[in-house]
Amino acid sequence: MKRSASPAETSQIGRSVERLESWLKVGGKAEYVHNLRLPGMLYAKIFRASVAHGRIREIDTSAAQAVAGVYRVFSGKDIAKLIPEPFFGPAFHDQPILAMDKVRYVGEPVAVVLASDPHVAEEAAHQIVARYEELPAVYDEVEAMSSKAIVHDTLKPAGTFPDLKHLKGKKDTNVALDFRLRRGDAERAMSAAARTFEHRFRTQQVMHTPLEPLVTVAESTEDTLTIHTASQSPSFVRIEIARLLGWPENRVRVRVPYLGGGFGAKLYIKLEALAAALSLLTRRPVKVALTMEEQFFHITKHASTFRIKTGVDEEGRILARQCEVWWNGGAYADIGPRVTQKSGFTAPGPYDIDNVFIDSYALYTNLPPAGALRGFGIPQLVWAYESHTDMIARALGQDPVAFRRRNLLREGRPQATGTPLRDAATGKVLDRLEELMEWKKPFDRGNGVVRRGRGIAIGFKACISNTTSLAEVRINADGGVTVYCSTADMGQGSDTAMAQIAGEVLALPAEDVRVVHSDTEVTPFDMATLGSRSLFHMGNAVRLAAQDALQKMGKLREELGLPADAAVKDVFKKKFGMQAGSVVGTGSFIPSYTPPDANGLTENATPFWMIGGSGVELEVDTETGRVRVTRLVNVADVGTPINPKIVETQLSGAAIMQLGFTLFEKMLFDEQGQLRNPSLAEYKIPGMLDLPGEIVNETVSAEQRSGPFGAKGVGETGTFGVSPAVANALEDAVGVRLTSLPLTAEAVFGGLAK
Amino acid sequence: MRKAIRFRLNGEAVEAQVAPHENVVEMLRDSFGLHGARESCGQGLCGCCTVLVNGRAVSGCLQLASLLEGAELATIEGGEGFDAVQQAFVESQAFQCGFCTPGFVLMTRKLLEENPDPADDEIRHYLSGNLCRCAAYPEIIEAVKLAAKKRRAA
Amino acid sequence: MIPFELVEPRSLAEAIALLDPEDTAVRPMSGGTAIMLMMKAGVLRPTRLVSLARLELDGIEQGPEGELRIGALTRLADIERSALVRRGWPVIARALRTLSNVRVRNVARLGGHLAHGDPHTDLPPLLSALGARVAVAGARGERVLSVEALYAGYLETTLKKDELITAVEIPALAGRAAYLKCTTRSADDWPALGVAVAFDYGGEAIGSPRLFISAATDRPTRLAAAEKVLAGRPLNEETLREAGAAAAGEAEIESDLHGSAAYKKQLIRVYVKRAIHEALRESR
Repeated sequence: MKRSASPAETSQIGRSVERLESWLKVGGKAEYVHNLRLPGMLYAKIFRASVAHGRIREIDTSAAQAVAGVYRVFSGKDIAKLIPEPFFGPAFHDQPILAMDKVRYVGEPVAVVLASDPHVAEEAAHQIVARYEELPAVYDEVEAMSSKAIVHDTLKPAGTFPDLKHLKGKKDTNVALDFRLRRGDAERAMSAAARTFEHRFRTQQVMHTPLEPLVTVAESTEDTLTIHTASQSPSFVRIEIARLLGWPENRVRVRVPYLGGGFGAKLYIKLEALAAALSLLTRRPVKVALTMEEQFFHITKHASTFRIKTGVDEEGRILARQCEVWWNGGAYADIGPRVTQKSGFTAPGPYDIDNVFIDSYALYTNLPPAGALRGFGIPQLVWAYESHTDMIARALGQDPVAFRRRNLLREGRPQATGTPLRDAATGKVLDRLEELMEWKKPFDRGNGVVRRGRGIAIGFKACISNTTSLAEVRINADGGVTVYCSTADMGQGSDTAMAQIAGEVLALPAEDVRVVHSDTEVTPFDMATLGSRSLFHMGNAVRLAAQDALQKMGKLREELGLPADAAVKDVFKKKFGMQAGSVVGTGSFIPSYTPPDANGLTENATPFWMIGGSGVELEVDTETGRVRVTRLVNVADVGTPINPKIVETQLSGAAIMQLGFTLFEKMLFDEQGQLRNPSLAEYKIPGMLDLPGEIVNETVSAEQRSGPFGAKGVGETGTFGVSPAVANALEDAVGVRLTSLPLTAEAVFGGLAK
Repeated sequence: MRKAIRFRLNGEAVEAQVAPHENVVEMLRDSFGLHGARESCGQGLCGCCTVLVNGRAVSGCLQLASLLEGAELATIEGGEGFDAVQQAFVESQAFQCGFCTPGFVLMTRKLLEENPDPADDEIRHYLSGNLCRCAAYPEIIEAVKLAAKKRRAA
Repeated sequence: MIPFELVEPRSLAEAIALLDPEDTAVRPMSGGTAIMLMMKAGVLRPTRLVSLARLELDGIEQGPEGELRIGALTRLADIERSALVRRGWPVIARALRTLSNVRVRNVARLGGHLAHGDPHTDLPPLLSALGARVAVAGARGERVLSVEALYAGYLETTLKKDELITAVEIPALAGRAAYLKCTTRSADDWPALGVAVAFDYGGEAIGSPRLFISAATDRPTRLAAAEKVLAGRPLNEETLREAGAAAAGEAEIESDLHGSAAYKKQLIRVYVKRAIHEALRESR
């Protein structure tokens, strides 16, 4: 492997260090849970519900149990013998390990077959028969508000979030959170407005499709459990498994190697409870590995409906905005209620508006559960408010960039919650986007079959708060440095970034720093790898831990009477008489936070703001409606980039992913709630031939003063503006305004034909 | 039901006991502990399971292992050290999570054998059957060009 | 997937003897891509697979009448790369470039590709338009039929269960030909529509038009009414518009995941026209 020859003479910050695990990855040797096989291991195959909503009348597993090679077949009742209350979830304890009394969506796990040969387990799972008493089902998030079909008989909030407590024990409702924000008097301002505009937007249900599908291996003894899992949140898994079992946390060990992609799919708790229960019931190691098809039945991104209304004055200043957002959470809440609130409060967009009204609802429906997907709800919101904002500008005859600039929320001004914007380069992002798009130059829109258009959009995101990260940094006797943190590297390059931060403090090249992967037995607590929080939170914790280690080294030198520049080796030799021992620095980081009041207002809603804008040039084939993006420009405020190359690829990758959600990705359900396209043959994701002709990614010069060396998160920022920028460019090209994603060729053609 | 098959794996003569319905990825994993070819979509669309059979790139998840009798099978684990393609992928940072990377590396090797100086359009078409959900596509195209340059210089 | 008997006959006669005229659980397999997908999905549960991989039925050559003869077990990738094909039937090489992906083309054999009967595949409509024929061998002897006559419905062919395609013969390409497909989701998606066209054109009138669509229909479908519009007419926008309208009118289309029936009819209108333009643009 490449090793740097000399101690770091240059700063580690702003260095495009190659990912530390690069050679493992190009050699096919990187460790994924997918690879893991343990002696005596059983493979689990899940039998799934065939109705969207129904009471379980009978589960007949006899034929499956009789298949040669089958070890055991389990259903929910068997799980309940081990775990009397087998319900998990980060916000609500609503999701059964295997369905108990009811099934709530097609594809829900109902029973599981274990066998040493996965083919045998699969074959036997086909032999299971279940009978249901079907119940009325609800699929649409707006209908779910008033539907007689009730997904959960009683609501069971987890108790960790104060704003969910009032929902405990509630019956006859599908509302899993009703977040509201009121600032100023939106209604009065609206009636005083020169003009008002109201539109309704929709987004579709899509799936993360990490190429490594969800996978967990559990192994157990009488009183210990080790879970190897492709998880973005090992600390949470340990807490939740310990809670389910009634065990102390120190008997549950959760290990996470590299992840083959995450994007939010592998958050909180997914297959871990099932794998743990099966291992404890059989005393054998158990692997639960989903196929790509099965993955569609475990976690998705919220479909949503957004009604937005804006009042403007004569000059085009926004006076008031009303937002009503309905989030389709599917059958289990997962983290949907947090999406509803933490993203919900940014629903009016990055604009300076005195009068704001927001209602944001998390809804249960009879569809596969929805959670966080690269943006935690923000892309759904930006889609709506930036389409809406463009429509207003056009209706007012104003240039879309100028209209945004006039209304832009700027440094120090209060956002909807009342929290002032800090270290958020909204103006710079908009300005740079305008330059890179050459917005002021004339644009050739074409005049034949192919028409051209351009559009921009800008969005922002608060970071979920308040959350904690802990880290340890060890200086070994030979001078080597090891970082212990529970951040999961799922491709975003967190190992490399943490090594750069530790290296910067300790004056070592990042390549010489070793980062230990999440292992709850070894690495300290971290809330989760989500919402672009890790570089900021864990980065700060690693920085503090490295500083602590440095300080302890200094103290040791002092105690031993060694000069301040004495080599580490010599310090330990003097201390222990040989090259032995180590110094451990610890760091913990939790930013300050003020919870919102009854009106959703707070002076301190977020530790930092992410700003992202996109510009799109495209061509429309007017005979077929086919859209081809010829140029995609992404501009972001990421604070000070720690690793510019990784930042660039995060922006680019996020934007291309969002382009798939914009143009064609969609989970299609039939009238019985059955998913019609659960495979990559029928659920298409972007490939090489779907790339825009040109992609430009830039960061503006900025600093997040509270971040580690001025940095903040970047994993999601590239997604924000893509969808509305495409829709805005589409209207610019052919005058067709679409308000539902995806923007398929057929939808465009339908608009053209009108 | 298992039968013994003899073939060459990364240049070495080997034998494996395989069931008729076992695919090449399963055999590599279960009989040889090799994980570089991995099943993802299971439908030959994503390329994560790419291996070379008699010098041809194929989807290992759609190949029955027992048909390998007498064949030459090559995987990402073969060869000494790292070749120009792997070096170019690292230099261009043409991956994020790394799950699809072995497939892209093997496909790129075949592309450059067939076409030492491919144009953008040729690269995109040749690699259109490999998916990268992290969407490192622009960097992959850059890496293919860099690898081509390295190979020409060598 | 469940275990099955896997046999690898060395001769055509042996292979045919291993097939069963009645039993649908006995299946021949060449490249195996489609068979593997069907087995994985649980829609095919074979008791015996007869691998044809070791039969010596590959090769590409030109016949005495200038026709192209391709052995049924020739890999699609070898056809794509064949100098003979590129020179005499460039339309086939072009169609192969976007047929599935490189790895599938490396294993898929021409005979299996045609015998699978999936309407979304690219060569059945194109070879139908080119007037190609297949040689078929079975327990009761050999016969020859047109590619056009090979298809009976979705995944259904007119082949008997113990019959195998042994070779494909494509007439010398004297006139113009093109194949275009349209995907409505990602670029590498199965097509929503495939259009294949072949005709003679010396600058005045369209002669002997053959027009087939696929993907939007349950099998490659010849569009007789549109052919009638084209035959003997000058090649201009009016002719093409009328032909497109006739094609959209006569084709029986159903809505599916790729688009509504109405939208696919629009695609037919547009792609019939574009395929004919494409055929003119390319020299042959």
